Amino acid sequence: MSTPILAVSDLWAGYGDTPVIRGLGVTVEPGEVAVIIGPNGHGKTTLLRTVSGLLKPTRGEVLLDGQPTAGRTPEYISGLGLVHVPQGDGLFAEMTVEENLLMGAFPASSWRGRRRALARAYELFPGVRDRSGQRARTLSGGERRLTALARGLMRQSRIMLIDEPSLGLAPVAIDTVYGVIGELKSASTTILLVEENFTHVGGIADTVHIVEMGVIVRSGSFDELSRDPTVVGTYLGSL
Amino acid sequence: MSATDIVGIAVTTFILGSIYGLVAIGMTLIYGTLRILDMSQGSMVMAGSFVGWGVLVIAGWNPIVAILLAFAATFVLGTFTQLVSVQPLMKRRNAIDFEMITFITTFAVAIVFTNVALEIFGPQQRNVTFVIAGGINVYHGVNLPYQSLAMAVVSIVLMAGLGVFLARTRWGMAIRAVAQDLDAARLMGVPVGKLYPLTMGLASALAGIAGVFLGGLFFASPQAGDQPLLIALIVVIFGGLGSLPGTVYAAYAIGFIQATAEVLVGTTWALPILYGVILLVLIIRPQGLMGKPSEARL
Repeated sequence: MSTPILAVSDLWAGYGDTPVIRGLGVTVEPGEVAVIIGPNGHGKTTLLRTVSGLLKPTRGEVLLDGQPTAGRTPEYISGLGLVHVPQGDGLFAEMTVEENLLMGAFPASSWRGRRRALARAYELFPGVRDRSGQRARTLSGGERRLTALARGLMRQSRIMLIDEPSLGLAPVAIDTVYGVIGELKSASTTILLVEENFTHVGGIADTVHIVEMGVIVRSGSFDELSRDPTVVGTYLGSL
Repeated sequence: MSATDIVGIAVTTFILGSIYGLVAIGMTLIYGTLRILDMSQGSMVMAGSFVGWGVLVIAGWNPIVAILLAFAATFVLGTFTQLVSVQPLMKRRNAIDFEMITFITTFAVAIVFTNVALEIFGPQQRNVTFVIAGGINVYHGVNLPYQSLAMAVVSIVLMAGLGVFLARTRWGMAIRAVAQDLDAARLMGVPVGKLYPLTMGLASALAGIAGVFLGGLFFASPQAGDQPLLIALIVVIFGGLGSLPGTVYAAYAIGFIQATAEVLVGTTWALPILYGVILLVLIIRPQGLMGKPSEARL
C-alpha cells in the first residue's frame, strides 16, 4: 500500500485547557477526497487548524507524506505542500484580489511560476478574474470563497484542506463553489474537506468520516453512510 | 504676511516634512506589522548621525557612502533590537499589555544604546559637515541650500521606494499580508520568525539615514535621537497609527505648522503652537488623520 498523504493518529488539541479534538485519527490517500461531517463545535475546524499548524496539538501524531509535522509551524507545514483554505477565507482585506492570489504563490519555488499560475487560476475562476483589481474586503461572500480557493491553487500542493466551503453562502454561490471543487477532484487533487452535513458533498466525497465530540465515530463511502438511516436521521440533516 | 514669508514657509515645510516623514515612516511600518510602538527608533537616528559624522568628518568620504553605511549599520542594529526586545515576547502578542510591554523593552534598549554612545563618543555635540555647498535663491532672501534639497529629495525617494517595495515585491507584499492577517500569511508560507526582525531592521535603516541628515542639520550626539523620537511619535499618532499615507501627510502637516509658527510668531512659540494644534486635532479626531481599524493596516 502506498503511503497516505495525510495520516493523523490519536490527535488531541483544543483551546486553553479544554480539548476539542480527543484522540482523533484519520488518513487521506493520494487522489482521495475525504469529507469530515459533524455538528458545529465538535472539532472539524480545530482538526484542520491543528493539521496545518495554526494550533499546537497537546498529543498525537500528524504525518504529511510520512513526515511528522505535529507541533511544527504553519509556514513549515505549508512548505511541505499543504494548502489550507481556512474558515472565514483568510483573505488579506486591504490587498487586491490579484495580490491575494500572488500571496498564494509566496514560496520561492512557486513565485517563479506565478504568472502562469495566475493565468491558470483565472481560467478556472473567471468570476475571480473579473474582480482582480478590487480590494478583497469589497467582495461578496461567494466571491471571497472562490478567491480563497483560487489562491489555494497558486502553488503545487500535496493536499488541500477546505473548511466548510458552503458556510454562509447563497445556494447559487454554493453550487459554483462545489462545481470548482468537483473540477479539482477531476484533476486528482487530494482534498480533506469538512462540512456540517451531507447536502453538498454527494458528487465529490470518496470517503466520509463522521466526527462527534472530537473523535471519528463512523467512516465509510458516501453511498454507504448516506443510506444508513441512523446516521442520516441522527446527525446529518437534509439530503 | 509677505510673499517672502510664504515662500519661506513652503521651503521649510518641504524640507522638515520630508525628513520628519523619513524618521516616522519606519515607526508606522513597525506598528502596522508588529503592533508595537518602537521606542528604539530614536537610537537609530542617533546611530545614523554618528555614522554620518564618522564617514563625512573623520574619514572625509562621500555623503552617499554615509547613507549606505548608515543604512547597513542601523539595519543590523534594528534587527538585533527586535531579536532581543520584541521577539521573545511575540508569543504574547495577543495579550492586552503587549503594546505597553514592548514599548518599555524597546525603550530599555534605546537607553542602553544612548549610554553606549556616551561611553564611546562622549557627551559633546559634533558637527556633521556635508560637502554639498551652495544653494538656490528661491525668492528674495529665501535660500534653499543644496544640502537640504538633497536631503529632502533622498527622503522622498526612500519613502516612495518603501511604497513600491510594499506594493510590488514578494517580501513587501508578505509584510502587508502579515499586517492584515497573521494566520493566513503563515498558511501562505510567510516565515514570520524572520519577517518580523527584518521589518524592524528595514524601518530602523530608514531612521538611520534620517539620522545622517538630521546630524547634518543639527549635531551628532548621544542625545541626537531624543527630539526625533518625540517628533516621530507625534507624526505617527497624528497621521493615524499604522497608516503609511497618513504618516506622510502628517509629517508635512507638522512641518507646515512648525514652519508657519516660526515665521509668524518666532522660534520660541513654534513648538507650543505645534503641540496646541496637535492637541486640538486629536481631541476632534482621536484616531488621527488616516487612522483605520486594527484589521485594516498598511
